[in-house]
Amino acid sequence: MVDLSQNAALSRRHTRRIDSDTLAAWALALPAIIAYLLMILLPLLAVLALAFTDYELGARGFAFVGFDNFAEMLRDRTFAASIRNTFAYALFVVPLSIGIALLLAILIEDGARGRAFFRAALFLPVVSLTVAMATAWQYLLHPTIGPVNTILRDLGLGTPNWLGASEWVLVSLGFIGIWQNVGFNLVLFLAGLTAIPRELYSAAEIDGARSPWARFRLVTWPMLGPTMLFVVIITMTRSIQVFDTVQTLTQGGPNNASEVLLRTIYQEAFHYFRFGYGAAVTLVFLACVLVLTLIQTRLIDRKVHYG
Amino acid sequence: MDGIVVSEVSKRFGDTQVLRDVSLEVGRGEFLSLVGPSGCGKTTLMRIVAGLEGVTSGTVCIGGRDVTATRAADRDVAMVFQNYALYPHLTVRQNISVPLMMRRLRPVQRLPFAGWLSPSVRATLGAIGEDVETAARMLGIGALLDRKPAHLSGGQRQRVALGRAIVRNPSAFLMDEPLSNLDAALRVTTRSEIVAIHRRVGASTVYVTHDQSEAMTMSDRIAVMMQGVLLQVGTPDEIYGNPQDLRVARFIGSPSINQIAAHAGPDGLLCVGGVSVGLRLEKPGNAVLAVRPEDLHLASQGLAGRIEHLEYLGESLLAHVRLTEGAETVICRLSPENRTRLRPDEPVHLAFDHGRALVFAPDNRRLAARPLPSALREVARG
Repeated sequence: MVDLSQNAALSRRHTRRIDSDTLAAWALALPAIIAYLLMILLPLLAVLALAFTDYELGARGFAFVGFDNFAEMLRDRTFAASIRNTFAYALFVVPLSIGIALLLAILIEDGARGRAFFRAALFLPVVSLTVAMATAWQYLLHPTIGPVNTILRDLGLGTPNWLGASEWVLVSLGFIGIWQNVGFNLVLFLAGLTAIPRELYSAAEIDGARSPWARFRLVTWPMLGPTMLFVVIITMTRSIQVFDTVQTLTQGGPNNASEVLLRTIYQEAFHYFRFGYGAAVTLVFLACVLVLTLIQTRLIDRKVHYG
Repeated sequence: MDGIVVSEVSKRFGDTQVLRDVSLEVGRGEFLSLVGPSGCGKTTLMRIVAGLEGVTSGTVCIGGRDVTATRAADRDVAMVFQNYALYPHLTVRQNISVPLMMRRLRPVQRLPFAGWLSPSVRATLGAIGEDVETAARMLGIGALLDRKPAHLSGGQRQRVALGRAIVRNPSAFLMDEPLSNLDAALRVTTRSEIVAIHRRVGASTVYVTHDQSEAMTMSDRIAVMMQGVLLQVGTPDEIYGNPQDLRVARFIGSPSINQIAAHAGPDGLLCVGGVSVGLRLEKPGNAVLAVRPEDLHLASQGLAGRIEHLEYLGESLLAHVRLTEGAETVICRLSPENRTRLRPDEPVHLAFDHGRALVFAPDNRRLAARPLPSALREVARG
């Protein structure tokens, strides 16, 4: 009997302690929870709600219009162009910027010297202001006085209007995007490469992996899996979010040839003040990012962590 | 010579000389341990034999072939790494088959689905599969073949690493501290398993370790290295009983060999604190008298001292005795019965077998010491 009552007292104390622990945990997490609610969840819900209204900035009232905004999107030529351009841009920028970054990272990692220099030089586009750099690109790609076309002219080749012709504008913006993303991806790959145990390369050499390609297939590629997944997601998201170069260099022109999703949202919401429609486009944009991320994590994550 | 021959190899990393004129021969089928404290250059020497590191000067021959300029992939050596270096994305079966795939298939044939297209590739893959099964059976990891390294225990990973090494019958076998990541009990059992596997495979083996007990129990011969220099190569017996350098004597044996500062007078008689110990050197001067703990015993006269403390180990009793002459504390391995009659602080006298005492010069060189005839010894003592 004595034992039992002691046990009861013990378990009571135990429960009380768990309660205070739980409280402490909640208290510690509270600032982050509040910030999350106020700054992420609430705006998201607002966008979600606005997407089904005809709200315009400055209007006295608004009405729920159901799926009218989404129906309008299907008829909207600008929106169609911006979706098409955004994905074309991403398909061009993502593989190239990842491939080039990986190649450069391996070369730099293998090289005996200059690692810090190359890393800093190639990272420069990431830390420099895009708007300022856009001016430089505008000059470089200028149809008549730009150095690119001067060189092409000297070589006897054609001199396209890089940012002014609808068949070239997306390619030009794509190159600038690659230039921006390579440095960022490179630094991530270099970190990933450094984390690969040296012993694995020794083992591969002893096992008879003679060519650099064989060692790459046997060690580097599989060991870089988690980094690769992260880089793909980041580059994909960054590409879909392209805005500042487009806005500063082409304003979506000529004739919507470089109109992209984020610029469409910006135009609709802050230029025409059509908040309802802008919110609806934003939802489509968020859905794209979400779907891409889900596909990648669900499909690939299992294959890159060898736990 | 068929095994591994390292001649006058030196290695320098920048300003640091890691190896100095190291020469070493490992006979065909011999098991040689390379032992020394960490940073002594033993792993570098092994990596040079493997071909993972170049030499600054000197040559390496394996199986009668000069391989100094041959890259590791073409040297026909297998290596077991300290952290096993298994490919984490491959199953055990794939890990063990990698060296065979790399050697028996051309790059094109290693592409996925090549086995579907070409009957010869299919045949090779089949042979590889059988060899992998054989190796896995020999190591008792047949049931683990479809697991990934992350799902294996330390001991199992170690076996997979061994499997990857033995599967292709290399002419030399290199092991870099393969047991250092295992717990103590597993280390002892794996030790004898590696010896058994070596006996079956029969390839020349270089085994790097910092653990002198591994070296003593496993090897045909031991090479003791310190600060990039090979101090002595010999059978475990020679290294233990007849070390040619004080550093070798100190490194091998546990507890460590006792060192007592001594001095030889003009007549060459070796004295500790003015008392003769019954040994004669060829030349006068300072010296170090080194005696193994088990060679010291209690006597009615001899080196006087006082027991500091006693350690009872079950099969023996270690007495730490502070000598009256000189400041040294020596350890003396006694039979366990002494436990009941010895007490700390008790004055004792220690004697030793003169045939087993070792004398070294201050520069660590071994000195020849002759025991005095017993009559003379009595006189010297009186």
